[in-house]
Amino acid sequence: MVGSLLDRDTTTSMRVKVINAGRRSLLPSFSEVYDHRELIVLFVDRHIKSRYRQMALGIAWALLEPLFQLLLMSVVFGFLLRVNTNGYPYPVYVFAALIPWQHFTRTAMSVTGSLQDNLSLISKVYFPRIILPIAAMAREMFDTAIQLAILLILAAFYGYYPSLKLVLLAPVVLILISFAGAGLGLWAAAIVVRFRDVRPALSIALQGGLYLTPILYAASVVPQNLRFLYQLNPMYWGVETFRWLLIDQPLVWDWTLPVSLTLTAIMTALGIVIFSVNERTTVDVL
Amino acid sequence: MSSEIAIRCQGLGKRYLVPARRRGSTIENLVGHFKEYTSLVGRDEADYFWALHDVGFEVKAGEILGVIGRNGSGKSTLLKILSGVTDPTEGSAELRGRVGSLLEVGTGFHPDLTGRENIFMAGALLGLNRSEIAKQLDEIIDFAGIDRFIDAPVKRYSSGMYVRLAFSVASLLRSDILILDEVLAVGDSAFKEKSENNINKIANDGRTVLLVSHSMQAIRHMCERAIVLDKGRLVVDQPADEAVSQYLRSLHPDEGADLRNLSPLVDLTAVESEDWPRPFKTIKSIETATPSGPTRTFQTGETMLIRIRYEMPKLIAPCYFTVFVVNDVGERMFVSYSYHDQEKTEFPQRGVIECRIDALPLLDGIFHIDLDFGAVQTLGGMRYLDYINRATTFAVEQGNYLSTRPNLKNQGLFALRSRWNASG
Repeated sequence: MVGSLLDRDTTTSMRVKVINAGRRSLLPSFSEVYDHRELIVLFVDRHIKSRYRQMALGIAWALLEPLFQLLLMSVVFGFLLRVNTNGYPYPVYVFAALIPWQHFTRTAMSVTGSLQDNLSLISKVYFPRIILPIAAMAREMFDTAIQLAILLILAAFYGYYPSLKLVLLAPVVLILISFAGAGLGLWAAAIVVRFRDVRPALSIALQGGLYLTPILYAASVVPQNLRFLYQLNPMYWGVETFRWLLIDQPLVWDWTLPVSLTLTAIMTALGIVIFSVNERTTVDVL
Repeated sequence: MSSEIAIRCQGLGKRYLVPARRRGSTIENLVGHFKEYTSLVGRDEADYFWALHDVGFEVKAGEILGVIGRNGSGKSTLLKILSGVTDPTEGSAELRGRVGSLLEVGTGFHPDLTGRENIFMAGALLGLNRSEIAKQLDEIIDFAGIDRFIDAPVKRYSSGMYVRLAFSVASLLRSDILILDEVLAVGDSAFKEKSENNINKIANDGRTVLLVSHSMQAIRHMCERAIVLDKGRLVVDQPADEAVSQYLRSLHPDEGADLRNLSPLVDLTAVESEDWPRPFKTIKSIETATPSGPTRTFQTGETMLIRIRYEMPKLIAPCYFTVFVVNDVGERMFVSYSYHDQEKTEFPQRGVIECRIDALPLLDGIFHIDLDFGAVQTLGGMRYLDYINRATTFAVEQGNYLSTRPNLKNQGLFALRSRWNASG
């Protein structure tokens, strides 16, 4: 009895790791990811510190960059071209859309490059690879949170104050957008290790996406017979929801919302599967 | 899996695709690229190369296993598989406990982060949580000897400090199996000694260490057992002493041929060299031998005979012959001139001259002999007439010349018998 207890004790205190040829799993090991949860925090921390530590203006750069972009857009589209915004002030109208959109593109690009950028790490030490895209998502979330803070100040300046629905729902919407961006990024990440051409191609495609989404203009300019196609774009819903949350622009639901959400969820789930299947061979081809 | 076995490998193999050659038209390159990276295009065995093939061994908990092999023999691939960085193509491995690896010094260190932050980063990569790392923090900083700089970014560290911190992190953070690749090659001698002691301590705690090193001294000194890899296959799995000897005997730095299979008699008549022109080709051949016969392998303390057959174009007197013995990295171990023997400078015009070394003081290793012949000039200067670089190669094994106890063997460069007398 004592002997068997001891046996069990030694086996439980020592995990046995089995490495087999040809093992491939469809999903990452959640217990492994949980064991390495602090690594995610440290990756994000490392990124933020290494990005801002030696800059005189430090974290202010996270604010200056989008502010400058916003200024340019307001001048060009709002002041010079006088784009129709359904009567909302142009800077707020654009920024409310730009934040979710940039959140999406930055997440997609960060996730795409997450393996390639950490090659020196993944070729030297083992940890669940899915940690890298997760950390990439988390750090983009951090940058977006800062931009959101500016947006709130800007909106208050124009008389739009944060509402309860904004406080409650904005984080949820941003997380959903994170997953959509990561879904796209995971597909690309799996391919980019083999064909590096994917990274610049995706970057160009996302710039095109800026114009296929109602960011710089109002969705009402899109012809009615093309609307259903236009609305399958998940970022249509991300952007429009954000405007509804911030400046209370009415949000019109129809059947394209669940279809778009479902398609996005399938894309993302497949992205995770593709990533997991490929992560074990990544090191050999990168 | 029995509880005292820490690592068990069975039939481990890893193959890589041979990269497609870049040549020809854009289309051909594109096809080659697709062939390399997608399984859609058919491949045959010629597209692959096996970095590791059918490797099996076991390591007990608390053991330090040495892994030896030439560059490209598959050592790194084996370690990468065991540390989980890459997957084997065939076979399996079971590892009991947490695996810590130091495949390269400073893995995961970010130059902009401070030493302290990097310690936490490295710990998290091993899957440790903050409190587990915090417990070891002081010990790590102390061991690395960098307490004054621990809050400075590591990019400001000297390379010595960087290496010390990296080693301290890898060896002190709690892992049950520690994989070390060539880490003892760095750091100064004091830190090296401290590291070796630390590795021994790790093993005494019942943890397992896999040590890759090109230093036969270190392998012999620290490991009980060693495996030798050659062209991806495990060829020796023996006690460290025996494994090192077998490895050294099998080694020939130039052709990869086994020294035992090479003739101890080397014909030098045709040797040409741009660096050392041979106008007279006086030296005809060299042969290494012991009193019991020609050989290329020697025991420390044995009598070594070096026979040089020569033919001078005309009688040159006075003249000299020289034997230079250099080790495998080109350091001169000792030099013997013929006039070291009672100022001898007169030799017949042709014949065989034999250099006798009574007790060969060399330790384990591969050594080369360079030969020199020349005239002694009237004012005492010397003029070379023939020189042969790397005339022959031989191996030495330490054996039991100084002691039969493996851990009391010589750890310096030379074996010298000494007398110890107590009085009083």
